[in-house]
Amino acid sequence: MNPFEAHQLEHLSPSTCNLFISSPAMFVLEKLLKKRSPVGAAAHRGTSVEDGIVSGLLKGLPVSEAAAIANSKFAQLTALSGDPRVEKEEKSVPEMVEIGLKELSAYGPPSSTQGKIEYKIDGLAVPMIGFYDMMWEDHGILIDLKTTHALPSKISTNHARQVALYVAAKSNNLDARICYVTTKKSATYRLENIQQHVDALSRIALTIQRFLSISSDPQELAQIVVPDVDSFYFADPLARQAAFEVWGL
Amino acid sequence: MALGLNFSSEGGGNYLGFVKFNAKAGRIFRRDRENGENVDTDISRTFKAIIDVENIEMGWLDFDTGGAPSMVMGHHSAPKPPRPDERHRWGARVVMKLSKELGGDLREMSSNSKSFLRGLDKLHDEYLEGVKKNPGKLPVVTLGDPIPVVTGEGAKRSTNYAPAFEISGWTKRPDDLVYTPRNAVVETDEDEQPTPRTPPSTGSTRAAAPAKAAASSDDDDWG
Repeated sequence: MNPFEAHQLEHLSPSTCNLFISSPAMFVLEKLLKKRSPVGAAAHRGTSVEDGIVSGLLKGLPVSEAAAIANSKFAQLTALSGDPRVEKEEKSVPEMVEIGLKELSAYGPPSSTQGKIEYKIDGLAVPMIGFYDMMWEDHGILIDLKTTHALPSKISTNHARQVALYVAAKSNNLDARICYVTTKKSATYRLENIQQHVDALSRIALTIQRFLSISSDPQELAQIVVPDVDSFYFADPLARQAAFEVWGL
Repeated sequence: MALGLNFSSEGGGNYLGFVKFNAKAGRIFRRDRENGENVDTDISRTFKAIIDVENIEMGWLDFDTGGAPSMVMGHHSAPKPPRPDERHRWGARVVMKLSKELGGDLREMSSNSKSFLRGLDKLHDEYLEGVKKNPGKLPVVTLGDPIPVVTGEGAKRSTNYAPAFEISGWTKRPDDLVYTPRNAVVETDEDEQPTPRTPPSTGSTRAAAPAKAAASSDDDDWG
């Protein structure tokens, strides 16, 4: 039995790798002990804004209609959310849609959206799976959209690895970009050193495999990591409670 | 294989804007400076330029200096200069006049990527053949689908792309496209770097939306 099978994991994704890097304890809690934390309002904001922008680009909608689609999606996703940030994020959604459409409308309608990719890493027992946001095949451009409240001056390492994987799986002949959108500004950066980022992600995935191979018992693996309960990963009361129950911290 | 045999360096230096060929992506970009930042526009699908193939410069280029690249360049018909050091790799530089739709200005393109040189060498061969029937003229060049060049095996397997330059016509040399020997230029090239010694950068160059498709042009369209 491969170490992933023992933990009922059928694949890895860039986000799972990033979770393992950022919080091994939350990785154990969510992926091995199967105690899922509620999705935060910020994540729902990202999903909703992307929905509005993609709809706007595909259908050539005015900003108001694209924003309405995003608002509706956000309301639907957060209907039962207890996250206190819902109100703040709700206000951000239409503003981000407007800024995002302004940034991306010149690209025209994407030829595909939410495209699934699968990539095999040598020595890894499961495939890497992911979904890219938007691609314009005629131009050979792939863009991943990231919403944030502070515009970064460069692509984050985690985002670089994520999008590099899409390119490696899809075609080396792609111009990969990451579009950051805030409520006021936007910037689209070109991804550099794609192969090196794929190599890094491969090393991380293999590290996860080695970690899982230590034991098929998730409780045993939990005992070799420690949660930082002050991190945002444990901000949700349910996640905080779960950490207490598993680690006594 | 008429290129890559000879060389020497010459100083001097008029500043020209850049066109970059990204061998990893097989795409060509026009780089502009806006508000203090580099903005790259993908012109792969619309690329059209009069390229001064007659005066391709060859030489030793080191883009990995942490600042302005170091180049020792000369006309391709001149003797090959000594290599400054192991960090310098054999490469080429060429000046072109972009089509009116792409701005109509003079730009230079330089690279020490082997796949780029492969495409440029092929263009040069076709130029030498075609110029016999078009004496004194320069080729109007477009870009076809890039040609994958696979190197290495296993974990070291890598795919780069050679530019598929295509001569679509011939035209008289534009008045402003005058060959002037130059040496150092300021630009970076991340293609085909040696084994990295530092963490890879992620990207901070802003990318513009692709330029709209250009209409067909004739000799009068060159800005």
